[in-house]
Amino acid sequence: MTTLVPLLRTPATAVWAVLIAATVVSWMLGTQHGFNSYTLASVVILLIAFIKVRLVGLYFMELRDAPTVLRGLFEAYCIIVCSVVVGVFLLA
Amino acid sequence: MSAITEAAPETLKKKVPGEEGVWIFILGDISVFAVFFTYYLVQRSKQVDLFVASQATLNKNFGAINTVFLLISSLFIVLAVRAMRAAQQMLAQRFIVGAFLCGIAFIIVKVFEYHEKIAAGEIPTTNSFYLLYFVLTGLHLFHLVIGLAVLTALWFLARRPEVSTNQWAFFEGGACFWHMVDLLWLVLFPLIFLVR
Amino acid sequence: MSKRIELDAGLAKAAVWSGIALIVAMIIAQGFLMHFIPPPSPSLSAQELAQRFIDRRDQIRLGCLIQCIFWSFWATWGIAITLFIRKMERSYPILTYSSIALVGGGYVFFILIPMTWAVIAFRPESLDPSIMQIMNDWVWFDFLFTWPPFALWMVVIGLAIIKDHNVPTLYPRWVAYLNFWCAILIFPAGLIAFFRDGLFAYNGVGAFWIPFAIFFGWMITMSVVTLQTINRQKERLATVEEPVLSGS
Repeated sequence: MTTLVPLLRTPATAVWAVLIAATVVSWMLGTQHGFNSYTLASVVILLIAFIKVRLVGLYFMELRDAPTVLRGLFEAYCIIVCSVVVGVFLLA
Repeated sequence: MSAITEAAPETLKKKVPGEEGVWIFILGDISVFAVFFTYYLVQRSKQVDLFVASQATLNKNFGAINTVFLLISSLFIVLAVRAMRAAQQMLAQRFIVGAFLCGIAFIIVKVFEYHEKIAAGEIPTTNSFYLLYFVLTGLHLFHLVIGLAVLTALWFLARRPEVSTNQWAFFEGGACFWHMVDLLWLVLFPLIFLVR
Repeated sequence: MSKRIELDAGLAKAAVWSGIALIVAMIIAQGFLMHFIPPPSPSLSAQELAQRFIDRRDQIRLGCLIQCIFWSFWATWGIAITLFIRKMERSYPILTYSSIALVGGGYVFFILIPMTWAVIAFRPESLDPSIMQIMNDWVWFDFLFTWPPFALWMVVIGLAIIKDHNVPTLYPRWVAYLNFWCAILIFPAGLIAFFRDGLFAYNGVGAFWIPFAIFFGWMITMSVVTLQTINRQKERLATVEEPVLSGS
């Protein structure tokens, strides 16, 4: 047990708790425990999803300490795909 | 016992997680999925009512539970990598097994979920929503099964008394692949199950 | 005393180039002559399909002759890569033998494609259209549905590169990951059994165009890196004496 605690002392653990909380929030919004407008709720859900994606990439995949090019590509992915997805959704 | 020290390269120098080749794979794969996400939404825009009605038959609770399983498994893998760096290989093996079991749990829930749909007569050829639902979640499941094979390889690596530089690169790369499986579900679940 | 094993770089490179020739011939024969890139839609009626064979009967026959010749080069191309798998492995050459088996099986599938079309185009006017339809479907399934051994070979190549004991490795390590990725990417070709139109029909974007582009893009990429590997290996052998390998 004493070897476990130091392993947990990393930002990734706190990030994990945030991810779990964000999942609960999204689930609540998606099952109608939130906004009156489905559209608004959906956009928020999508934004939360891509924030989660970014957190997984930066903290779990350790891209935070990666060379700029690699991290840049990933961040670009998050921004571009999030924009396209939200955009196409709203255009429906 | 010696204190656990962080390997210097982690905190001081920029380091490619795994090795460059892994990122061709991962960035490429998530890009292909991004095309699928967009394709799903484009198809949806042509028949919004159909998609909304069909989406209502999906089991959102199963989807949410599966998200939690994958998040827990990813945490286990983060801890497994940290354990390996701290020369705690037995602990790393246990974490990998934990992640593997979470993956199995995901599959079990998925089987129930698919069974529910098929029993209700909702199959890939029913309409374009169900087609995309089965194909996208099926593709993800395919990646997850491959991920389980990768985790098995990581478990064997963790049992070695010595890990070479290349093997270490594969270990980190394999861990990133598992995180990718998690990452894809983090988009798929809200996109297909929740967004309307 | 160690014995030097020579690399006939000329022959090895010719084998790689034969794969490029295969691709060029396919585009000319299957694409321009036969008009079978992309495939005719599986939702065509038997009569409409039969008409396509009747109309382009001569081009199809000629294109098939060309393709039967050039698909043979799959064997030589595949063996060039296998050559290096042998050098990447130590001791019992399981990956090498798997590679030989998978490459050898592969060109059988490929040659059956133009052979079958040639049979259909042999007497298209008098053949029953529904028989022609089944045979044509069969060809496209042969082309696409048989993806697994090819994916498996990609995995074998990737594994060989990951486990390469040479320093530096014969292939750059990223090629291994590219192979693993392509193996996954051609999987949608297996969905053609379930759909007669749309994304995953055998003329669809998902089941035809993507696996087709991935597969031949992979062949071109592997050709380029294999040529580079041959050059590097030739230089290395010129400067260093290689010990005798048992059982090569």
